[in-house]
Amino acid sequence: MTDIVITEEDFRRFREFFYRKTGILFEDSKRYFVDKRLVERMIASGYASFNHYFTFMRFQASGAELQALTNIMTVNETYFFREEYHFKCLVQSILPELTQTKPPGSLIRIWSIPSSSGEEPYSIALYLTEYWSGIDHWDVELISSDIDTDIIHRARQGKYSPRAIQYVPPDLLQTHFVPTADGEYQISDDMRQAVEFTRVNLNEPTDTRSYRGFDVIFCRNLLIYFDDFSRRQAAGVFFDALNPGAFICLGHSESMSRISAMFKVRKFPEAIVYQKPEKR
Amino acid sequence: MAQRIFVIDDAATVRLYHRQILEGAGFEVHEAINGIEALEKVLLASTPFDLYLVDVNMPKQDGYGFLRELRQLDIRQAPAIMISTEAQAIDRVKAWEAGANFYLVKPIKPDALLGYVHLLLGAGGTA
Amino acid sequence: MGIIKDKKIKIVQQDERSRARDPDSLVAALTDADPTARRWAARDLADFPAMASALAERLTLEPEASVREALLLSLTQIGNRVAVEGLLAGLRSDDAALRNEASEALKDLPDAVAPLMSDVLTDPDPDVRIFAVNVLESLRHPDVEQWLIQVISTDTHVNVCATAVDLLGEVGTTAAVSALQSLKARFPEEPYIHFAIDLALKRIHED
Repeated sequence: MTDIVITEEDFRRFREFFYRKTGILFEDSKRYFVDKRLVERMIASGYASFNHYFTFMRFQASGAELQALTNIMTVNETYFFREEYHFKCLVQSILPELTQTKPPGSLIRIWSIPSSSGEEPYSIALYLTEYWSGIDHWDVELISSDIDTDIIHRARQGKYSPRAIQYVPPDLLQTHFVPTADGEYQISDDMRQAVEFTRVNLNEPTDTRSYRGFDVIFCRNLLIYFDDFSRRQAAGVFFDALNPGAFICLGHSESMSRISAMFKVRKFPEAIVYQKPEKR
Repeated sequence: MAQRIFVIDDAATVRLYHRQILEGAGFEVHEAINGIEALEKVLLASTPFDLYLVDVNMPKQDGYGFLRELRQLDIRQAPAIMISTEAQAIDRVKAWEAGANFYLVKPIKPDALLGYVHLLLGAGGTA
Repeated sequence: MGIIKDKKIKIVQQDERSRARDPDSLVAALTDADPTARRWAARDLADFPAMASALAERLTLEPEASVREALLLSLTQIGNRVAVEGLLAGLRSDDAALRNEASEALKDLPDAVAPLMSDVLTDPDPDVRIFAVNVLESLRHPDVEQWLIQVISTDTHVNVCATAVDLLGEVGTTAAVSALQSLKARFPEEPYIHFAIDLALKRIHED
C-alpha cells in the first residue's frame, strides 16, 4: 500500500518533539504504533517524506496537523471508571483532607469537565455514594459541563452500551442501572438527579466567569487537545474556579508541567494531582 | 547498585549528551524536561535520586524554582549541580541560595562533569 | 446529607468582582494588596490593548505566580508592538523566571515577533540571543531554519550556536548540512558542539 519509511532517527526526532509538547513519551516498544500513525497522517496530508511532513507539521501556522496527530496518537475513549485511580484518590485521600477543614454539614463542590456522555460524572457520583462514608456527613454538589449540547442531552438520558459499563462492579450495576429493551443500561434516576449538567466553553470568559468556589475539578483528557495558549487559558479558568487549597485531576496522558506553574504538585498514594496554593 | 542521577534540562540534545557521558561511567540516568515534571518524578521515585543536574533556564519552572521546592520536600536530599549559560557571579549566589551545591557553565566537558559528579557523590558519603 | 442539587444553592456562585472594570481602575488594581484582585485586573486588561505597557511594567515587579500568568496571557492576547517589546525586555531581566516566561509568551506571537527577530538574534547580550533561538523553537514561521543557519554561520558565542544546533537537530533539512559541518571547525575543542552537530546531521538524512 505504501513504501513510506520512518527511520529510527525519524522516530526519535518525532518522539522528542511530541514529548516536549505533550509530556507523552513513547518507549522504543511503541515504535510500531507510532510509525503506523505517522504514515497514516503523512498519507492523509499528502507527504511521502517524513522530513517534509515533519517540517510542515512543525511550522503550519494553524497547528491543525499537530492536533490531528495528537488525536490519533492518544486513545480518547470514555467509559465508566476509566482511570479509576483518580476516583479512589478522591474518596481515600482528597476528600479526607478537604473535610478536615470543612465542618460536617457543609458543602463540597465538584466540577467534572468535559461531561462527554456522562460516564465520568456518574462514575464520581457512584464512587461518592458507594465508597465514601463521608457522604452521610457532608453535602456534595456535582456539576458537569460540556461544550456540546447534544452530548449533554445524552448524558442526561444516561443510557450506555455494555462496553461502557464493563468495569462497573456487578453489585453496583445491579443497584444503579436498569437494563433497557434495546440491550443497553440506563443509570438510575437517583444518579441522574445527582449530577447537574451545564454547557460551558472553557475559552469563553463569559461562560466561565461565574464558576467559582469548587473543591475538586476533574478535567481529564481534554486539555491535550487544546493548543498551548488555550490550555493555559483553561488552567487559569480552573485556578479561578477553585478554592484555595482545592484540587484538580488531569488525565493520565496530561501533566501540568506542560501547562502552568500556578499549581502545586501533590502526591497521594493513588495519584499525582495538582493543588491551588493556600492563600498566604 | 548504580547510583541514580537525575538530569533536568529542556534541550533533548543536552539530556542525551549527559546521559551518554554518565551511563558510560556506570550511572543510572533519569530525565525531565522542566522543574514541574522533575518534581513529579521526584515524588513518584521509589528510591531517591543520588544527584541532580539542573539547567537554569527551562519553561514553566526554571532551575531555581525547582531547587527551592525540592529542598522543601521531606525526602532524602542529594547534591545538585546547577548548569547555566551564564557566568556572572550573581547567578552563582542565586544558585547557592536556591539549594545548589555546585555551579557549572555550559558547554560542559565530559571529564569536568564526571570529576564534579564523583566529587559531590564522594562528599555525600554514598560513593 | 448526600449528593444534592439544591436550587437554593446557586451552582453558579456570585462573581466576586465588584470593582469597576474600566481600564484606569483595572490598571490601578494591578498594584492592589490582594493577589486575586491583581490577577483579575491583569486578566481583564486583555480587552484593552492600549494598556499593554502597564501590564508589561507590572510583570517586572509581580511576585505571585498566578498574577504573572494572567499578565503574560493578557500580553500575549494583546500581542501589539508594545506588548511584544515588553516581553522582549523580559528576556534581558536578571530574573530567570521572567526570562523564561517572556520567552514562552513570545513563542505564541509569531507574526508580531518575526519582524523583530533579526534584531534580537544580533543582540549584544549572548543570553538574549539564546532566548531568541529558544523562541524560534515554537515559532510557526517559514523562516525559522534560515534564521538558525544564519546563527550557526555567524554567531561567535558557543552557547548561542549550541542552542541553534539543538533546534536544527529537530527542524533542520539538507539546507543546514554545510553550515553544520563548517561549525565544527569553529569550535574544535568543544565536545558538546561536536556531539550535537553529529546528532543533527544523523537526523537530517538525504530524502
